Amino acid sequence: MNLVKAELRKLFYQRSTYGLILGTIALAILGTAFSPYAMTRIGKGLTMPLSSSDVVDGVYSKSLGGYIFVLIIGVLIMAGEFHHHTAVATFLAQPKRSRVLLAKLGVAAVVGALINVLATWVAIATGAYALSLFKNVAAPHDFIWGNYTAAAAVTGAVLAIVGVAIGTLVRNQNAAVTGSLVWLMVVDRILAVIWTEIGKYLPTGLITAMLNIHLNVKDQGSGLGINTADYLDPVPAALLLLAYGIGFAVLAMFSTLRRDID
Amino acid sequence: MSTIEFIGLTKQYKDLKAVDNLTAKVEAGRITGFLGPNGAGKSTSLRCLLGLATASSGEALIEGKPYHQLAEPLKRVGAVLDSQGFNAALTAKQNLLVICAAAGIDDSRVLPLLELVELGHAVNKRTKGYSLGMKQRLALAAALLGDPDILVLDEPANGLDPIGIAWLREFLRNLANQGKTILVSSHQLAELQHTVDDVIIVNHGKLIAAGNAKEIMAGQSLEEAFLRLIGVAA
Ligand SMILES: Nc1ncnc2c1ncn2[C@@H]1O[C@H](COP(=O)(O)OP(=O)(O)OP(=O)(O)O)[C@@H](O)[C@H]1O
Ligand SMILES: [Mg+2]
Repeated sequence: MNLVKAELRKLFYQRSTYGLILGTIALAILGTAFSPYAMTRIGKGLTMPLSSSDVVDGVYSKSLGGYIFVLIIGVLIMAGEFHHHTAVATFLAQPKRSRVLLAKLGVAAVVGALINVLATWVAIATGAYALSLFKNVAAPHDFIWGNYTAAAAVTGAVLAIVGVAIGTLVRNQNAAVTGSLVWLMVVDRILAVIWTEIGKYLPTGLITAMLNIHLNVKDQGSGLGINTADYLDPVPAALLLLAYGIGFAVLAMFSTLRRDID
Repeated sequence: MSTIEFIGLTKQYKDLKAVDNLTAKVEAGRITGFLGPNGAGKSTSLRCLLGLATASSGEALIEGKPYHQLAEPLKRVGAVLDSQGFNAALTAKQNLLVICAAAGIDDSRVLPLLELVELGHAVNKRTKGYSLGMKQRLALAAALLGDPDILVLDEPANGLDPIGIAWLREFLRNLANQGKTILVSSHQLAELQHTVDDVIIVNHGKLIAAGNAKEIMAGQSLEEAFLRLIGVAA
């Protein structure tokens, strides 16, 4: 319990944490606020009318869009210790390093889930307002409220866990933050579009799968685009995402966590 | 059983033996100077002692146990290390409150200790704005949080001005008078000459001499004694 309290203090004494929480919410809000406009202007013969419930589900699905900041919170929880050289004090207070890591993972998971759920709800409310500005808008499917909340919690928890693990594996804070940003924002997204067979097993594909939305904006000719029918079912997707989190954490525990602290 | 004991401690970095078969003891209730020039292996030895680095062979024990086997280590041993830092975005008080939480130490220890190291005026200042000397004092306060009987201090005079160094000597003397065991390293041999009871002198990772400071100095200064011991005529 001591370690959990210490981790919570570290997190909430830092102003940057609040900035990252606001970032999570802002990015989620941007997604739901603007996607009704984007969906109606997709062009090139691809139409996504808001009169379809599936499309409205898609608008609300943008409410999970802030998870990248949750990943960064996770990265900073561990890499920040090396950046500020507070790892020394941390491991002097608790030399059993795996206990420190477990406390960090636990705090990251709970805080990450809460932040992501909060951002999702705020963004859903924003999306509802944005949609109210359009005419002839279908109601979303009822299942999305529960699904999106659960998906936000799993995504927030897992990405924060993965972040802690990355911060442990790559002690350099800047490299860890930049690396995970590039992966999640660029590589993962490109793979999700151009190489669906692989992309559906990667975080972006799994997160989309958890939302259980039904969209098909795949260009039949080039094979580019997204058809959510290609994705896994929500539950296996959530489990695989969790497995990633645990896998990274175990890897960190048995590799870099054993190295000397200087 | 000695308070602190190095038993054949060796730390190998690639082709460099930073610590080479070091065997030495620190007696309870005394100030022991851990002395040697830059790169002699002092910090490395202390990092092995405190479980931050793994020894290649041999061991370093505190009251007969490796550091990671101590229950509530901060209540037994307080440390100031050269590689240690504080979260620049947090105030001095917040930095110490984090350590209190992790070590199960009462929060009420924080303010009196910050007063004791004469940082009472900067308690709520972010450590980003701290000078080197202020950080050193904050590190001393952190080491004392758990009211430990043993203190391991790596170059605690680093960054302190002459007034600060005089203050530190007095400070260490006071702690020793309370019966604490202090192992304090320095590369400036003259700095602690009049403060230490015993010395452990190392060079190139190897033990040069250990024992009562006065006996080892044999009427010379520590610097002269050191040069004599490593075979460079003083
Ligand atoms: N992490 C490391 N990797 C490789 N070599 C290292 C590492 N840490 C220390 N060394 C080397 O080990 C030797 C001993 O270093 P150490 O820091 O223990 O010396 P020191 O006695 O504390 O010196 P100083 O008085 O300068 O603090 C030096 O040659 C140093 O370059
Ligand atoms: Mg040193």
